[in-house]
Amino acid sequence: MIVGNLKPVEEIAASVAGLKNVQVVGCGSCVSVCLSGGDREARQLADELSLPLYYPGGPPPAFAVSGIVRQCEKDLVKTYLTLPPETDAVVSLACGAGVQTLADLFSPLPVFPALNTTFLGALDEPGIWREKCHGCGDCMLSFTGSICPVARCAKSLFNGPCGGSQGGRCEVDPEIPCAWALIYYRLKSQNRLDLLQKLNPPRDWRPAGNTGPRSRIRTGIAGSPGDAPAPSSQTS
Amino acid sequence: MGGTHPHVCRIGGNQMSSFIVNEKCNGCLACVRNCPNRALDYRDHAGKRVLMHNMGLCARCGQCWRVCPEQAVEFRHLLESPWQEVVALGLTHCRVCGEPVCTFDYGKKVSEKLRMPAEALCPAHRREKGLRAWSRIRPASPPSPGGAK
Repeated sequence: MIVGNLKPVEEIAASVAGLKNVQVVGCGSCVSVCLSGGDREARQLADELSLPLYYPGGPPPAFAVSGIVRQCEKDLVKTYLTLPPETDAVVSLACGAGVQTLADLFSPLPVFPALNTTFLGALDEPGIWREKCHGCGDCMLSFTGSICPVARCAKSLFNGPCGGSQGGRCEVDPEIPCAWALIYYRLKSQNRLDLLQKLNPPRDWRPAGNTGPRSRIRTGIAGSPGDAPAPSSQTS
Repeated sequence: MGGTHPHVCRIGGNQMSSFIVNEKCNGCLACVRNCPNRALDYRDHAGKRVLMHNMGLCARCGQCWRVCPEQAVEFRHLLESPWQEVVALGLTHCRVCGEPVCTFDYGKKVSEKLRMPAEALCPAHRREKGLRAWSRIRPASPPSPGGAK
């Protein structure tokens, strides 16, 4: 899932200082599950942002709270998320994709992010999410025992471990397990160590987004390219 | 598949579902065929086509709503579904003010863990009781410097 962290409240407050009516919008997807941007967090943030101590130059804005199951789907948001007419700005607790979707839909209304979108990760233990994927566009997990060296090796090495791996730990931070040590032991347990004999050539990073923003086009569903126009203005 | 269409009969129990289709549904199965989680299915039986929805599989992705050529899927109900009561348990009340404190079963569990009976007191009266006890046992105030002269 996409994992985000709440920005410092002072930073969010600075972005809405001087405004009168601000809508705080939670997202019911990834950031809700990682306990940073769901309905509960949206209400907590609105309460916190209402404190006058953040606004030495004037009164705090009035905050209202709403949410939607996913902020990153334009048609869904357009149909089901309505803002009060007096809204001066939106504070979104979604990931960067959700913030930009709201900003596109409600333009020219300013939409401010409340989270720092941080990584694609997994819940390893209750309350602990760890990065697992960089979305590099050319997955090599088949050859690495399903442990990603791009995301989990501090140097994103394709042939490891490096000389800084000590006792299964990374030289960057001993708290970080060496991804290539993990890969070695995983492949060993699978009797597939022969995969490490193969030298991985330098990577083509174009699928990772190095040639600009990426997109995915899925044909064969209603509204997709080549299909009949989607019923885009449904109001059910 | 439901609503007031003369050829449609409302399915028993459907009132509890959050997946609602209106009278425009004609059973084309576009939603069934496009549901990414296979949370929609259908059964043709005894002259009727019955559309079925499984909330446990549904990701609320909205694909059914997007693809429906008749705009029959009322997706709002999946976003704003009503509360459903799941269990009702007996309450223990504060013996002073009558405010609910906890369920009887939870209080019993706490008593077992503490190996002492949990007193039926709300937080305010529990605090008050503690302060009263403290006032009985606290040491006497030392004489003020002025009084010593």
